[in-house]
Amino acid sequence: MNSAVMKKAMYLFVLPALLFYCIFWIFPILKLFQYSLTDYNGYVQSFDYVGFDNFKQLFGEEILGASIKNTLAYTAITVVLGNAIALALAILLNANIRAKGFYRSAFYIPTLFSAIVVGFIWSYVYMPGDGLIASFFAKVGLGGLDTNFLGSYSKALYSIIAVDIWKNIGTSVIIFLAGLQTVPNELLEAGKIDGAGRWKLFRFITLPMLATSVTINITLSVINGLKAFDFPFVMTNGGPGISTNTLIYAMYKMAFTDQLFGKASALGLISFAIIIAITVVCVLTLNKKEVSA
Amino acid sequence: MTNESRVKRLSTHAILLALVFINLVPLLIVLSSSLRSPRNMTNPLNWFNEFTLESFESAYTRMHFPVALWNSVVLTVVSVAFVVLFAAMAAYPMARIKSRTSKFLYLFFLAGLVVPGQMVLIPVIQMIKGLGIPLGQYTPILMFITCSLPFSTFLYTGFIRSGVPEEVEEAAYIDGAGLFKRFWQIVFPLLLPVTVSVIITQGVWIWNDYFFNMVFITKALDAPLPVAMLGFLGDQQNPAQWNVLFAACILCALPLLVMFFALQKYFVGGLTMGSVKG
Repeated sequence: MNSAVMKKAMYLFVLPALLFYCIFWIFPILKLFQYSLTDYNGYVQSFDYVGFDNFKQLFGEEILGASIKNTLAYTAITVVLGNAIALALAILLNANIRAKGFYRSAFYIPTLFSAIVVGFIWSYVYMPGDGLIASFFAKVGLGGLDTNFLGSYSKALYSIIAVDIWKNIGTSVIIFLAGLQTVPNELLEAGKIDGAGRWKLFRFITLPMLATSVTINITLSVINGLKAFDFPFVMTNGGPGISTNTLIYAMYKMAFTDQLFGKASALGLISFAIIIAITVVCVLTLNKKEVSA
Repeated sequence: MTNESRVKRLSTHAILLALVFINLVPLLIVLSSSLRSPRNMTNPLNWFNEFTLESFESAYTRMHFPVALWNSVVLTVVSVAFVVLFAAMAAYPMARIKSRTSKFLYLFFLAGLVVPGQMVLIPVIQMIKGLGIPLGQYTPILMFITCSLPFSTFLYTGFIRSGVPEEVEEAAYIDGAGLFKRFWQIVFPLLLPVTVSVIITQGVWIWNDYFFNMVFITKALDAPLPVAMLGFLGDQQNPAQWNVLFAACILCALPLLVMFFALQKYFVGGLTMGSVKG
């Protein structure tokens, strides 16, 4: 229908979006490459090129390895646990019961709260002494248990991961539930008649039919985990020590607290490379699985 | 109904109710504490032992609630309007034209999804200053629009490709309607389901964002709700009591909660948009 001229004219429609996207998203990323080779501090406009010093420094310091490890743990746990819980909840909700909408909303509500508010509420929940968990333990006679969740090197990271899962699970539940509703009942009935058990029905009928929702949920939670920033920022300031530093939080702190823009840019680029590599591998694997399922 | 299936149903309800309870306990404690007077320091676990709006009144004044609410509304509405406009327009050629350029553009936008805003922030402040754009109350809008483009163009493009074939424009084309007219009068109205989805998914994150707002907004009275809350939390000179802070938490979340319960159907539909269409 459209002539070639019309098609060319159509590209004008991309311009506003493209302009914003290039100026405020792509160009800054390119700028990072430049800054990463300098000793720029973000305030004084003159800076010197220092070659790969920033990268060399980073590779010699503990913070890089620690924040990579924390970010990977954060991502792995939120992806696996978050999606497993969400899928289990969605399957429960998909049963033929009343008040489905009520339950669904109840799991979705935390999603509507700002990370600031969620971080504050959970800081109270985790607080030693008067916090929710601590006073609950005291009430049931377990007062002797250590409840300093956010102050402990070994527990702080897992504690903020739990908050992330709590906040984001509602969205995944809704997406899985929509996927489950596309699984035709006849297919499950046919499977039952053929003598398939519950696990087999799930593995060979439900799960393949859920492929799209699984892909979406896993992809979104992988990206969300690799970009994790909110809860280290709001709840722990990366601490105690550097035990809850994620890559993005470490980069932010380096830039805005330590005023090392150059070094932070280098860390940003390393993080970026890691995020892209993992996301691409995930998306390709999931797509292959989805096609074959 | 057989006895067995009744037992099964009841136990499903029991399990779900228990899970909902565990899930919402922190929020219920916050609600119960916010309904106490600021001086009531009894154990929060003895919940709902007092009902007064004193803490709410204090939080309402101290976080300048009406001003912060208005700021949130302006930031969110303006940003989302531009996102809808720009993303729908950009998706149109990306879905209609089958060429390398079009495919490249689609992936180029989509790739932006993996970029963390914190990373872009370092150079972007310099960029904005360099362009002579003043830093202030409305600067975050630029970042909100930009950050929302990858996901929104992805949704719109997918929808046009699978759900809005070129044939719908045929009659108008024969009548000699230009591209612009065909897009706005015929294609855009058909995109309503995606537009709802974009408004909801992007609107919620923009409403709740504290990061870009915190970076660009320096005056207390320019701040939207999450930043007003942040300032209130960090006020060392004038620390607030727990109950007042909890009331502030509820106030901060209230507008979205009200929206959610009023428009639940659209929220659920909007969230699943990308996942069912593929």
